[in-house]
Amino acid sequence: MTDAAIKVENITFSYGDLEAVGGISFEVAPGEILGFLGPNGAGKSTTIKILTGQLTPKSGSAQVLGVDVTKDDPEMQAQIGVCFEEKNLYDSMSGQENLKFHASLFGIKDVDTDELLRRVGLADRAKDRVAKYSKGMKQRLMMARTLVNTPKVLFLDEPTDGLDPVSSQSIRKLIQQEADRGAAILLTTHDMNEADELSNRVAFINEGKLYAVDTSENLKLKHGKRSIRVRTRDGAGVTEQIVSLEESGAGEALRAAVGSPNLMTIHTEEATLEAIFIQMTGRGLEG
Amino acid sequence: MSLTRTFKVLGKEFRLGPRSPVFLWVLFLPVLFTLVLQVTFGSLFDPQPRLGIVDQGSSTITAAVEGMEGIDLAMLDNADDLKAQVEADNLDAGLVLPAGFDDQVRSGARPPLEFYVGGESLASNRIILAVTTVDLVREIEGTAPPVEVELVALGDAGLPIAVRMVPFIMMYALVVAAVFLPAFSIADEREKGTLNALIVTPVKLSEVITAKGILGVILALAMTIFTLFLNDALGAEPLALFVVLLFGSILCVEIGLIFGTVSKDSTAVFALIKGTGILLIGPTVFYIWPDWPQWIGKLFPTYWVINPIFEVSLKNAGLGDVWVELLIATGVIVLLGAAVVALTRRLGTQLATAA
Repeated sequence: MTDAAIKVENITFSYGDLEAVGGISFEVAPGEILGFLGPNGAGKSTTIKILTGQLTPKSGSAQVLGVDVTKDDPEMQAQIGVCFEEKNLYDSMSGQENLKFHASLFGIKDVDTDELLRRVGLADRAKDRVAKYSKGMKQRLMMARTLVNTPKVLFLDEPTDGLDPVSSQSIRKLIQQEADRGAAILLTTHDMNEADELSNRVAFINEGKLYAVDTSENLKLKHGKRSIRVRTRDGAGVTEQIVSLEESGAGEALRAAVGSPNLMTIHTEEATLEAIFIQMTGRGLEG
Repeated sequence: MSLTRTFKVLGKEFRLGPRSPVFLWVLFLPVLFTLVLQVTFGSLFDPQPRLGIVDQGSSTITAAVEGMEGIDLAMLDNADDLKAQVEADNLDAGLVLPAGFDDQVRSGARPPLEFYVGGESLASNRIILAVTTVDLVREIEGTAPPVEVELVALGDAGLPIAVRMVPFIMMYALVVAAVFLPAFSIADEREKGTLNALIVTPVKLSEVITAKGILGVILALAMTIFTLFLNDALGAEPLALFVVLLFGSILCVEIGLIFGTVSKDSTAVFALIKGTGILLIGPTVFYIWPDWPQWIGKLFPTYWVINPIFEVSLKNAGLGDVWVELLIATGVIVLLGAAVVALTRRLGTQLATAA
């Protein structure tokens, strides 16, 4: 991959004796969403902290927009956006004031807070104090705050964790819009559906190690079963049939099933990302 | 470090400040404290005697009263105005000095002297004004008083309690503005995670801490000057007063920044202040009780800024009189500054490695 917005080569980091990140390498291109999948404590947030200059890797190298992250470069910081898992807004300020203040830290005087708030569905609550916002509204404001400087690289740490489906969907839509704009996005999550829906590629991380970095389609093809589950209803009840795509005659069997008046459902038997993750790491994504 | 970014954070501190209970403490508690202590020990509500004079000539009595610090003098044009002002209790007493009054007194004549006393005036003020007037007339006449007054001082010599309380009140204002405010502000931002949000922008943690320090210094200067003004203790040299207050503000702000950077939350700051408050305020008790061994006060780091403020504000000293204390204070400020830098770095690591 050339001209990567994020380039990580074999970085390591330890909290005392505990190795949090153990020699991982990956790249994220402009306009790409890399889903960083792993359970709590896998090393996702530590990786983000390294890439945003909060932590210095013990070894290896990491570059964001071509700048070594250990250089503490304000120019680089001005081009990134970080959305935290915790809701760290100024509660006594209004939504609009939070955005204006944050923009001022990037040297932006004419930030269009109305547009940002409209994008996250908070236009009508612009002047309300954040203390009065719901959890979902705060998270949407966090996303808006992340975008005040129109960042080239976005680090999103569990941006939809614990949100209702409507708020989650609104944030996912925003993430996709940012990728379409050309932003490179590192999205950490332990929600495999979110990763599957949004990510161009996913990276499996567990205990500080990367187990896979690939498109979810490739992972599913590599690790799933090439078969189809067909369910039909007849006089004896519901019958289920597995049609293996590896075997000859699979096409006829499928045609027969599709042509049957008793057909109820047809499902591919591809593996879920979570199943693949468990298969590769021996650990689930939750917890 | 960028001053532009530091001042942007400072702007936020000023905007958010009035919404914080600690900020309100800073503004109101020293004033309240001053009022309570002055009512109890002082003379805040004991106004000076107010004398009105209608001088139809150029009496030396008028010139003498003008030179007295303890009397508020009002000059009026005619006796009717004077009587109206006294009757309305705008003046405690009024005096009409006819043209040629001094000459008549000197010639041995006994000219009439109109002396009006307000019915609602304090008896003590009436006595002061009447006795002063009689003494001044006697001076014009050139005669000695009929008795020899022997002054015998009873009680401890030294400054009155109201004055000795001033360092305590001033230090209270200083501690609330310079220690409480930065300490609680850092701990609050740390607790709520907003510090983490700031340090992933171009703003550095050192700039955030500096902004909070500047806010503390500005408010500490404002509140100590206001508190000293309320206590009529601004001294004789404004520049010297500003310098010693600046030293005091910086030293106390550094203590506040240390408290803020070592505390995980507001509760920890509160516990720290409760536990160490005596170290900050300690030296002021030696002014209240001057019989105590004064050398003990010098063991406290804050003594080296409190004493210069005391000397300049209450004893009209200049910078030349307190330079030794200020030199030692500079040393303390440098040491505390180094501690602030080290603790800010430590805080940065703690923020990044926190789960």
